[in-house]
Amino acid sequence: MDIFTGLINGFSIALTGTNILFCFLGALIGTAIGVLPGLGPAATIALLLPMTYVIGSPVTAIIMMAGIYYGAMYGGSTTSILLNLPGEAASVVTCIDGYQMAKKGRAGAALGIAAIGSFIAGTVAVVGLTFFAPPLAEFALDFGPPEYFALTTLGLLLAVTLSGGSIIKGLIILFVGLLLAMVGLDPISGKIRFTFGSIVLQGGFDFVTLAMGVFGLGEILYNLESTLKTEIVTTKIGKVFPTLKDWADSRWAIFRGSVIGFFVGIIPGGGAVISSLASYAVEKKYSRHPEEFGHGAIQGVAGPESANNAASSSSFIPLLTLGIPGNAAIAMIFAALMIQGITPGPFLVAEHPDLFWGVIASMYIGNAMLLVLNLPMVGIWVQMLRVPYGILAPIIVLFTTVGVYSVQNQIFDIYSMLFFAALGYGMRKLNFDPAPLPLAFVLGPMVERSLRQSLLISGGDLTIFVSRPISGTLIAIFVLLIVGQTGFFIKRKRRGKKTPAT
Amino acid sequence: MTKMRKVTLFLTLALVAMLMAGGLCFGAEKYPTKPIQVIVPFTAGGSSDLTARTVEKFWTKYSPQPMLIVNKPGAGGVLGEEFVVRSKPDGYILYVGQGSGHDLVMPHLQKMPFDPMKDIAPVARLSIHSIVICVSGKSPIKSMKDLIDYANKGNKITAAVSTAAGSVDLVMRAIAKRANIPITTVPFAGGADSTTALAGGHLVIGGGHPSEVMPHIKAGRFRAIGVALDRRDPTLPNVPTLKEQGIDVATWGSVKGVAAPLGTPPEIIEYLSSTLKKVCEDAEFKKAMASISQPIDYLNTKDWTAFMQRAYKDYGDLIKELDIKI
Repeated sequence: MDIFTGLINGFSIALTGTNILFCFLGALIGTAIGVLPGLGPAATIALLLPMTYVIGSPVTAIIMMAGIYYGAMYGGSTTSILLNLPGEAASVVTCIDGYQMAKKGRAGAALGIAAIGSFIAGTVAVVGLTFFAPPLAEFALDFGPPEYFALTTLGLLLAVTLSGGSIIKGLIILFVGLLLAMVGLDPISGKIRFTFGSIVLQGGFDFVTLAMGVFGLGEILYNLESTLKTEIVTTKIGKVFPTLKDWADSRWAIFRGSVIGFFVGIIPGGGAVISSLASYAVEKKYSRHPEEFGHGAIQGVAGPESANNAASSSSFIPLLTLGIPGNAAIAMIFAALMIQGITPGPFLVAEHPDLFWGVIASMYIGNAMLLVLNLPMVGIWVQMLRVPYGILAPIIVLFTTVGVYSVQNQIFDIYSMLFFAALGYGMRKLNFDPAPLPLAFVLGPMVERSLRQSLLISGGDLTIFVSRPISGTLIAIFVLLIVGQTGFFIKRKRRGKKTPAT
Repeated sequence: MTKMRKVTLFLTLALVAMLMAGGLCFGAEKYPTKPIQVIVPFTAGGSSDLTARTVEKFWTKYSPQPMLIVNKPGAGGVLGEEFVVRSKPDGYILYVGQGSGHDLVMPHLQKMPFDPMKDIAPVARLSIHSIVICVSGKSPIKSMKDLIDYANKGNKITAAVSTAAGSVDLVMRAIAKRANIPITTVPFAGGADSTTALAGGHLVIGGGHPSEVMPHIKAGRFRAIGVALDRRDPTLPNVPTLKEQGIDVATWGSVKGVAAPLGTPPEIIEYLSSTLKKVCEDAEFKKAMASISQPIDYLNTKDWTAFMQRAYKDYGDLIKELDIKI
């Protein structure tokens, strides 16, 4: 079945009443859990898995679950922008400029451009999926441990350079993040590290706990000190929707973000996180006003938001074409398919064309639905910022606490969240930017595991990283970036030394 | 103000309805009177998870209350099992996945927060399946003999294994010892992760459960060159066992058992065990399990307990022989 016939067949399936309803339901649930801290798309899909046998048609079930998954990406940006609370690692980058925009009264523009960018990116990704899925999936398989090491180390470098302020401070926070990530079991040998005998810590810290603690509670604790502020927004809330100028400023960011997110998202593992990082770095580089980044540059929201949405759509590619799940949420969808007796893989298109094309067609529809869902909501969300901080802050504390507890039903998580809150407060007091922390926490274990796996494979030979084409290229980019940064550093210092002499 | 009153009224009614629904569960009714939580200590999509979910699908045919599958991955299966060990033995928390590496292998290698042989009550065994040794479809290696020749020519053999000191890791090391060739095992974050890496051709061989490797074998990305069991695996009838190829390695493979917290009343355990037996004999269930390449091999409580003891001892002996330490 060639592509166009398949797609038309797919739309005829996706546009039935039941499937449209379930697509909408999935998008709605996804947005809701994306906004609420704690419950993520993986856990939600897991909860709803038993529904798949009752629904009857597997296509309908998968359509809904796919909707939940990419819907969550749309919702995640809302709390990042409004409250500086990243729901997922992929939303951390959005916090950086998004929250600053909200503080300046431009929350509406940020939310709006995030929704629009996400829609465009999602659609671009689905188009890419439609036409280029199989060869791209094979490309994803070429990523072995050395490639993952190169990619995630590059991600760490990007995480450091993103933080406004001094590189040294960024590095310190990065290493704190890496240290926190090491608590728990060693990924290669299974040895227990840094748990001080505690059984609960054997699983390590949880990302949601860290994010809610450092960003949510930490910020609130810090704000408690300034009694002058009564609202998050210090200036008047201006126009609620993005202006034409915003669109003109952002459209290239959206386009670049979509492309970056699409390709990087195919790689199982850190796809969405790294794509948002890469997009931010690219936008900063291409911008005519790079100093604006970190203080509310709209490209800093448009780019990463588009990237992470494109990545969430392209992460379906390895699943549908190779039968390889790229992350926890996709793994749930994989389980749902297996239970129905459908084995995802290269034969999926041939054996179950209805399912394959039906789901792809529904993704076009789902993205459109999400845009329609989210854009009008922008006005309502923005009103939330008008709530006096004295009322908003306790509500945030309540939601984050419940959300954190809901992840594993362990009281210990609440205690660790308080620990992270103290950490976040301390960081802000000492003028450290917390953004590299969650990124290092997520990427660090990947770096360690892939490094050790690569060395096991090569027998200790370090040249494995440069002798392979993909990892070699990525390492080269890494080295170039470092050289560029240090060169810049030295130039600035020299210039500083010259002026007193003249 | 009327709107507020309406909202309050609605909320109160909803609250009352919820309380009543909860209250209806009271009474000395026969077990089970509410849904049973089933803990799977691994992530979704893995063989334990799929087995549990397939059981759950057919469970309601034979039991008035459904099962609720909860994934609690972490520490190679230890965290999930520990949760069950410390739960109330009221029959409403079960554990699927007993008999995996963390029960039979890990206790010999590192300190566990509980004793999997003593601190939990076995209920029944559902399935047992082999570890399938595979190579990349593009590889020239077609049998274990080819692998040994390959190694003897001085080539390095890297093996993708699901987790450190897991069942696949043990099989690989046992092969290395018994066939006298060096194999470097490279652990990954689970079965799916390791089979993906093998599919990309980044390692020489790999091992996994039939449900994990079957899609890749069908797609031609993998070639199965051996199974680590005493007899051939029925889902892979053309793949010879390692013993047939002259390598004396046969393990218990991956065992899927069900357990309950210690102290669960024996009538409840008997109910669970016999209901699971009915599920295992259901024709539709058999079909479903076949589609996920999971053979059905039921054992009742007594036999399962005995099996666990035997398998635990065998693995202990194997580990001592292979001199594996963490």
